[in-house]
Amino acid sequence: MRTRARTAGAGTSPEPGAADDRARRLHGDSGPADRLFRAVATSGGSLVLAVMLLVGGFLTYRAWQALRVAKWSFLTTAAWEPDAHHVGIAAVITGTVLIAAVAIVFAVPLAIGTALYISEYAPPRLRRTLISTIDLMAAVPSVIYGLWGLFFLQGKVIGLARWLSTYFGWFPLFKVDNADPHDPLATATVYTASTFIAGMVVAMMVTPIICSIIREVFSQAPVGEREGAYALGATRWGMIRAVVLPYGTGGMIGGTMLGLGRALGETIGVYLVISPVFEIQPHILQAGTSSVSSLIALRYGEASQFGMSALMAAGLALFLMTLVVNFVASSIVARSRSGATAE
Amino acid sequence: MKKIRAAAASLALLICSLLMLGPAPTASAETYARISGAGSTWSQNAIDQWRREVAQYGMTVDYTGSGSTDGRNQFKQSTVDFAVSEIPYGMTEFGVREAPPTRGYAYMPIVAGGTTFMYNLKIGGKRVTNLRLDDATVAKIFTGVITNWSDKEIATENPGLTLPNRKIIPVVRSDGSGSTAQFTLWMSKTQGAIWNSYCAKLGKPTPCGLTSYYPIRPGSGFIAQSGSLGVAGYVKQNYAEGAITFVEYSYAIAAHFPVVKVENAAGYYTEPTPSNVAVALTKAQINQNKDSTQYLTQILDNVYSYRDPRVYPLSSYSYMILPTKLETPLTEAKGKTLGAFGYYFLCQGQAQATPLGFSPLPINLVQAGFDQLKRVPGVVPQNINVAGCHNPTFSTDGTNTLVKTAPYPKACDKAGPQQCSDGTGGAPAPTQVKPAANGSGGSSGGTATSGGTGSGTSTGGTGTSTGGTSTAGGSSAGTAGGGGSAAGGTGAVDPDTGQVIGDGTGTGDSTGTGTSAQDITASSVTVGDESFWGLRTWLMGLSALMLLAVVIVPPTLARRFAGGAKKGNS
Repeated sequence: MRTRARTAGAGTSPEPGAADDRARRLHGDSGPADRLFRAVATSGGSLVLAVMLLVGGFLTYRAWQALRVAKWSFLTTAAWEPDAHHVGIAAVITGTVLIAAVAIVFAVPLAIGTALYISEYAPPRLRRTLISTIDLMAAVPSVIYGLWGLFFLQGKVIGLARWLSTYFGWFPLFKVDNADPHDPLATATVYTASTFIAGMVVAMMVTPIICSIIREVFSQAPVGEREGAYALGATRWGMIRAVVLPYGTGGMIGGTMLGLGRALGETIGVYLVISPVFEIQPHILQAGTSSVSSLIALRYGEASQFGMSALMAAGLALFLMTLVVNFVASSIVARSRSGATAE
Repeated sequence: MKKIRAAAASLALLICSLLMLGPAPTASAETYARISGAGSTWSQNAIDQWRREVAQYGMTVDYTGSGSTDGRNQFKQSTVDFAVSEIPYGMTEFGVREAPPTRGYAYMPIVAGGTTFMYNLKIGGKRVTNLRLDDATVAKIFTGVITNWSDKEIATENPGLTLPNRKIIPVVRSDGSGSTAQFTLWMSKTQGAIWNSYCAKLGKPTPCGLTSYYPIRPGSGFIAQSGSLGVAGYVKQNYAEGAITFVEYSYAIAAHFPVVKVENAAGYYTEPTPSNVAVALTKAQINQNKDSTQYLTQILDNVYSYRDPRVYPLSSYSYMILPTKLETPLTEAKGKTLGAFGYYFLCQGQAQATPLGFSPLPINLVQAGFDQLKRVPGVVPQNINVAGCHNPTFSTDGTNTLVKTAPYPKACDKAGPQQCSDGTGGAPAPTQVKPAANGSGGSSGGTATSGGTGSGTSTGGTGTSTGGTSTAGGSSAGTAGGGGSAAGGTGAVDPDTGQVIGDGTGTGDSTGTGTSAQDITASSVTVGDESFWGLRTWLMGLSALMLLAVVIVPPTLARRFAGGAKKGNS
């Protein structure tokens, strides 16, 4: 009897014929130290929530002046003329989403490829070096990426942008106005300072984040199933397709969305590259785009009260958007970590 | 082995002694609290130089070049100890007046300089370094009235150049900037009509004075970049041929790029050399009312209209905004650092201004600056004898040496049919001008008639694949080929492209002096294919297919062979 009570605590099933025995209730209170720790952890957690709420509340409070004037047209106006009380986020939100989308298109294949190589192919010694290199990439300040994009990348990408717009210009996203590829003296500046280039710069910044999450998920693919796949005669690639990728689907989606959350809020890298325009600009290869965060950085010195309030309103919109994206992302990541998608 | 060890030991000893010696002077020197500032990128090159120099005295001065507007705003919000701005508080931009800070503040001039127009333009593959423009043309370029370098107005001002048929790309600042404010102030005062009509087109209230945020119309081909480094860095890229921007002279020098010579009220085209700026600013009206919050600020109207041939009209002073009350974030210790830094750059630092592309402050402003510094709490006042500062403007008799010795412009810099070939800014290489505009007499004009020989091979446009090619000068190329007589250069013309092979023997630039034809300057360009379904597209498709085949075919074949082998075995 005594033995059973001890083993029940360890999680084995009760012996048959002992229906009158109820499972002993476990309680975790083991002294003041534990309670103290619990209190600290709880208050830390709720502090984070409180800070988030305060940020949201502050933004709403400061944005109220502009929102009251602009009303719902704040969402549909493209112009940004705070002096004339004519402001809206239609253009900047479009720009933000397009830049983030371009960034994700470039970053995700790169990140998945890197993560697969690190977790499945790289020799162990190289693996450690590669992991720290990726972490280092995440630690590089975004102004460095911005300057690199402005002074180096932009000149190299123009050729690709021109090629895309010349041969795929019939697709609305790739159209470039005022560009004549048949005029040898036409300026190449119409292909610079665009959504495309800003997106590529942001891609460099979000790749390490996406990569480290995906790598983590890949490396958690169950060893037993890997061995099983090999035992059934799978090649390494066959094993990856059969085990690692299905297991990591949730992680890939979650990592992508976390990357998207950062891409939406990226400021300095975008600020340095783009040439801001305040109209809805769906042509990603064409000069001129805008994003919420770069708008805030550019106009932060705005003299008027209303202008500041309008910037706060734009910030609020971005805040809510990234909050939603990150929330969805973390819930997907959490689900995938539990192994729910591993069957 | 012993030897090596002994060598290593002595080396270690040497390093140790060096390390011990190294910090010794700073340890004995005064200690300074770290201070931080933000603002103008116009004068950032000078400030960064001074910051590096005072680091040897143990002073750490942090400076963020985030634009004058941001600097003033950060000072107002008490996030920085000092700000640097081209314009004072209280300016009205598009009908909104900027409120002054509640913090105590005072202005102190730090350095003078010229807002220049840096450009990237080539004729026949060679960089143009001697472009000149008058104020109306500059205003028209930056308001989208003139959009092509071959415009007649630019051509009349540059009689020595054959400007290419290239689009002008005005590059402006996207952030709130003092350079923009100085430039638009100058435009509003001297070319009000052009500037106002541009503002009206953009729906801004007129009359439209100065603004820190340059308004641009989407789709107009303007490019906006952040910071002086951003615009200068954009213009100097290879792809930005045809771009022009407004930026402080020092950025053009650092980028090794030329600047536009701007016409002054005396009818001379000048560049903002330190002496030209110094001459111009002798007419700046400085607020002398010590009780005013605007004490020492500038009014530049007389600078724009000063009729001295040496004047560069877009000259101005840059200002530091100093805290005058002991309020957060200022402390006594920080005030001491700020004072020491201020004394340094007002005195010794001014000698560094000239090589960087700025102009040193005159003696009266240096002394006024010393007085302003005393208002900062915590400053340790220094009695500096200005004669020991090595400031190039100082002299024993009280006159401004820099102004006295400023050279007068050459005769070819006067508005008229002649044009100097000398380079400007950071690009000292001369640009060859047409003989007629050379100023060395008409004799050279006669010798250049050989430009008409052309070559027989280029007749009839030659028909092959890339027919209809164009060179600089656009439509004129076709006629040149057809006629076979007026083509520029010395003979050899590529039969395929109609381009002149090589750069000729020097006469290539002095083409067509006869009355016959337009000047043609061959510039090598790559020519796009005419039709979508041309050879290039097919080749691209083919290479894509081949790439696909490389990936797909080997495994497919291998599998088939393997399968066949297995069957054969069984």
